[in-house]
Amino acid sequence: MMATETLRVVCYLNQFFGQLGGEEKAGVGPQVVAGAVGAGRAVQQVLGDAGTVVATVICGDNYAAEQAERAVAEMVALVAPARPDLMVAGPAFLAGRYGVVCGALCAAVQTELKIPAVTGMQAENPGVELYRRRVYIVQTGAEAARMLDEVKRLVALGLKLARREAIGTPAAEGYFARGVTHNVVANASAADRAVAMLLDKLAGRAFASEVPRPAFPPVPAPRLIKTLEGATIALVTDGGLVPRGNPDGIEALNATRYGAYSIEGKTSLDAAQYDNPHRGYDTTWVKQDPHRLVPVDVARELEQSGAIGKLHETVYSTVGVATTLAQSARMGREIAEKLRAAGVDAVILTST
Amino acid sequence: MRLELRWSDVDELVAGSATRLAGKRLEIDLDALRALLSADARLTGIRLDLVHPGERCRIGRVFDVVAPRARLDGGEDFPGVLGAVAKAGHGRTLALAGVSVVATDQQTDNVGTLAVIDMAGPNAALSAFGRTHNLVISAWPAPGTGRSDYLAAVRLAALKTAVCLARTAREAEPDRVEVFELPPSPRVPAELAHLPRVAYVFQIHSHQRPTGLDEGILYGDPVRRMLPTIVHPNEVLDGAVLRGFMGRSVTTWATQNHPMIRALYEQHGRTLWFAGVVVTVAQATEPERVRSAFLAAGLVAHTLGADGAVFTKIGGGAPHVDMAQAAAQCEALGVKTTAVVEDMSTDGSAEGMLLFDFPGVDALVNVGSSQEPLTLPAMDRVVGADDLASKLLGEARATYGTLCGAIEQVGTTRVMAEVR
Repeated sequence: MMATETLRVVCYLNQFFGQLGGEEKAGVGPQVVAGAVGAGRAVQQVLGDAGTVVATVICGDNYAAEQAERAVAEMVALVAPARPDLMVAGPAFLAGRYGVVCGALCAAVQTELKIPAVTGMQAENPGVELYRRRVYIVQTGAEAARMLDEVKRLVALGLKLARREAIGTPAAEGYFARGVTHNVVANASAADRAVAMLLDKLAGRAFASEVPRPAFPPVPAPRLIKTLEGATIALVTDGGLVPRGNPDGIEALNATRYGAYSIEGKTSLDAAQYDNPHRGYDTTWVKQDPHRLVPVDVARELEQSGAIGKLHETVYSTVGVATTLAQSARMGREIAEKLRAAGVDAVILTST
Repeated sequence: MRLELRWSDVDELVAGSATRLAGKRLEIDLDALRALLSADARLTGIRLDLVHPGERCRIGRVFDVVAPRARLDGGEDFPGVLGAVAKAGHGRTLALAGVSVVATDQQTDNVGTLAVIDMAGPNAALSAFGRTHNLVISAWPAPGTGRSDYLAAVRLAALKTAVCLARTAREAEPDRVEVFELPPSPRVPAELAHLPRVAYVFQIHSHQRPTGLDEGILYGDPVRRMLPTIVHPNEVLDGAVLRGFMGRSVTTWATQNHPMIRALYEQHGRTLWFAGVVVTVAQATEPERVRSAFLAAGLVAHTLGADGAVFTKIGGGAPHVDMAQAAAQCEALGVKTTAVVEDMSTDGSAEGMLLFDFPGVDALVNVGSSQEPLTLPAMDRVVGADDLASKLLGEARATYGTLCGAIEQVGTTRVMAEVR
């Protein structure tokens, strides 16, 4: 794409900003009109010679909110024939239904039509949290009071996206952090920055940590509703126990796979039959005696003595090192579903 | 304690009939050096290559990088590993600027764990070693030499070479003299008593991988049962601490030129009082980790009496949590902390950058993501990895972690991961 070429832009507006009417028109389905209308005129004004708003898609907020999937698909079908280089949705300010649709439409246009998209919202708009990871969302005020200024920032970022130019930091460009990391070269060494940050912290001055604190949702431990004597207990580990030969090919780090291994008929684990590909800790001792990781021997004794009802006959195992949060959550969910389906009441989870 | 680093600049590295420093030209008698290194029965077929900044050359199979240093008036070089066990950090030490010793690993088949150095192109600017003249040592294991023995021998060869090179500056007038002088920690002059006292907690090894018998890390000790202990920062700068054999984003060179110790020295007496260094290891088990964390925090808070502490880690995920746990213990004792972390995300998501969330450990600096893709451009020559030459000559996809010196966990470089 040449920077001098005039870009084709499609806008998306709700019934209000598309000037169909107020709340009484919120049930109106998607329609397309040629050129810029309503708030889309601000986009055209800011674009100037750089681009032309060739079409505007308008949809009522309620229609879009009540049948979101269908509405988005219908709108994508209206956007495609206009062959745009860029989609500009909103800005939606603090309007919640509108913001969510802007995010959903931008995401769909990007993935299905491979066309860059940009929208704008106020920080509290639910569309921000839902779509900021996938869509560039420019930060705006709660209301349309400073519309032209905000559209300027939105269009500036949109033009960069359409021209495949490098995108600056969230602070520089005014969009909500998408939560992706990129290596850059800072203006001082990490050591110098660390000492400077400490001096700020010691002096009670504001400092900007370079790493966001993770928001690990708290997971309350469920209560066992049976007595142990009547419960089926499963053994699960992220310490990397695998049968010799690692039949599931569980990765040594950054795992995406887990294995389900039968212990039926076994009162203990024979070290010669097991291995451990885990690259995150010293596996010498658990290779020597797998019970140090997965205590089948003691669990069988407890089963024999009646201290627990039953030992589940399948051990689930994966490698927990440098595993992404997304993969960990998926594997955990899948294992939990299988355990629940098998009637397991409680799990002994051994980690390393 | 007072340490002088007497720096001589080198801007030319050539083979010669004698090993000597002629002005800024370092000449090396490669035959004599090869003979010196060949005395180690664990090594065979030693090869030495000279490479230069700007040359379209890639060094492969990089294991570690060592800065040329030699004690000027007595004392031991790399005590406990090369020299006898003796206190380091006081007196005069010769140092060469502009030249590094690169040790390669010719034994492992797992070449993915080894690094490269680019001497030209965009990657050369990302690492200190793309900007220095490098003497590259390639040595093969003698038959029957095990992994740990081989790595110990390779590292020893690099240390011997580093001393041999630096000794050429014995008669030279240094280009600069850097003085590191820190009085005993409690002796603060009254006029500087208002400065915040700052300690550095330096994790020097991670027991994710157990050390070999020959894997001297602190004065030659493999730190197997090491508990947190206090050292003078000059000891670190003067060869008392070496990197172990686990090579992830850390070099011995970075320890010898420790950026955090330098940064604290630079501010010492101006904006802070450098209270001292606590060295720790990342532990393998939970009780060891808890014990280490409160012992380290106790040394920082109660013994050094620090108001603030900076932390760095070594290795991967477990050390990352170890460091944070010790920092959290410091915060609990009222000591403010900052910690230097590597971006731990393996999918480039900000959610995965950190593996901990402890109260108070909220001031974090990062040294970038070693997982981020990087292009290795085509080169004219490959050194140190004949067996991989066909692969390493052409353009290849790699990661920041592959480029030796681009990411140093002690905070040497300016590479950082930015959240967008």
